[in-house]
Amino acid sequence: MSLFQAILIGIFGYLSSNYNPWGFGQLTGWYGIGRPLVSGLIIGIILGDIKTGVLMGATVQTLYIGLVTPGLSMPADLNTATYIGIPLAMISGATEEFALSMAVPLSALGVALVYAVQTVNVFWVRKMDEWVEKGNIKQVGNVPLYASSSQAIARFVPIFVACYFGQGAITALVDAMPTWLGNTFILFGAILPAVGFAMLLRMCLNKNLEIFYFLLGFVMVKAMGLPITVALVIACLFGYLDVKYLNENVMISRATLSKEEMFDD
Amino acid sequence: MTNNDRKLLSKKDLFNSYKYWMRYALSAQNMERMEAPGFAGMMARVADKLYPGDIEKQKDLVKRHTTFYNTQPMVGVVVNGIVLGMEEKKALGEDVPDELIQTTKTALMGPLAGIGDSLFIGTLIPILLSIGLGLVGEEGSIIGPIFYMVSWCSIMLVFSWVTFKYGYRLGTDAIKLISESGVKDKVIRFAAIVGLVVTGCITATYVKFGISWQFVSGDLTKSVQSVLDGIFPGLLPLLLTLACYWAMDKKKVSLGKLFIIIFLFALIGKVTGIIG
Repeated sequence: MSLFQAILIGIFGYLSSNYNPWGFGQLTGWYGIGRPLVSGLIIGIILGDIKTGVLMGATVQTLYIGLVTPGLSMPADLNTATYIGIPLAMISGATEEFALSMAVPLSALGVALVYAVQTVNVFWVRKMDEWVEKGNIKQVGNVPLYASSSQAIARFVPIFVACYFGQGAITALVDAMPTWLGNTFILFGAILPAVGFAMLLRMCLNKNLEIFYFLLGFVMVKAMGLPITVALVIACLFGYLDVKYLNENVMISRATLSKEEMFDD
Repeated sequence: MTNNDRKLLSKKDLFNSYKYWMRYALSAQNMERMEAPGFAGMMARVADKLYPGDIEKQKDLVKRHTTFYNTQPMVGVVVNGIVLGMEEKKALGEDVPDELIQTTKTALMGPLAGIGDSLFIGTLIPILLSIGLGLVGEEGSIIGPIFYMVSWCSIMLVFSWVTFKYGYRLGTDAIKLISESGVKDKVIRFAAIVGLVVTGCITATYVKFGISWQFVSGDLTKSVQSVLDGIFPGLLPLLLTLACYWAMDKKKVSLGKLFIIIFLFALIGKVTGIIG
């Protein structure tokens, strides 16, 4: 594969990844050209063999047709699977099944990259808080723009390296990261949202006893296994009952929580 | 109530806000507050339109939206519309409490993520992809990928823009209705309770860890986590979230410190193999 082709595949790999800010974001990227069916066509055009590209894309697509990627829980990352697996299979003249077999371990690499990017981006959250405090509103509007650089590096570099230097390079890349560190980041990512919810609690919680409403929501989903839309209906019922029967002479005192208090850190 | 029909945001501002969210909702996605930078950034871009020259008000506006936010961005764009409508009314001098804005976001983000993932990502995309795969056939026809791209993008672009505009109208109308009929306190109270319950729901979905340590005695191996699950499923994530709340609210522990404590907790837990 020529250097130019590898660079092009790297760029399109980035543009097809989740979190990239081009076009209409996720709509045209991750769920648009990021579907292997479409990616196969793009790779085929770059490598000069449209038919093979489309067929390989279609094969990888069948594996991941029903993939949903909610929030942080990413079961498999199609991006690396598609943009590394298909080009390598195509230039080595391998079958579609070969691309398919590479897709699974490569998608694990993609998942590791997602966690790495989400950890690095916490830095930009700190910057955002700082700029809000200083009243630098224009910069706050640019935070997502700056933060998108982490995703650009995390996608372009591995895809380019793998396509240009071959499969050996990408296995070395995966092996280079110690597993305990990777696992710590995954665990860290599973715990960290607790801080965000604690912040929401500080805003919504009026009296300490109202923590029961929070517990109710937690138990409904975790212990009773209700879908969140069903839990919402029950939440509305409780809200209605509270407003109608309990709250007739309780005025809102929550406004006393000043904004300085909410955000000091 | 004289300001009811005045507008601060032009049609172009609305479209720019919509486009901003579609592009940047996820580009600063992070473990701590997820899509918050995208939401705050969208507000930052219209801050000068809503409060021209008033930097303190602009700060308050943006600050309100730096809190945890996570949803399916394409479907959740309706929330951005609603909130933008509310913020515009607030900027026009209507009495829109901060809590109402916050709880609206909290109450809607979880259910919309559920709807978005199941209906659009889990249903519409597989249907369109199946048709596309059928069109590819044995010959590797390019009609397949092109069909998927065109149908998906046109459906979703129209859908997301229409719901965004609908949300914006809903936001402004709701504020008008609420302030005119004098039920504001009840609405806020209602929204706060729904928000609290939904916060509980999404905590259960997102904070995920348990004890990976196993109790071994002779031939008997007992997973500590399975015992805990028998008593109270998700007890540890719940206690940890409450501990974070307690540390921030009662002990005034700074966010940065809390962050380091949690990282050390994860590191020690993982290295010793107790938590996983």
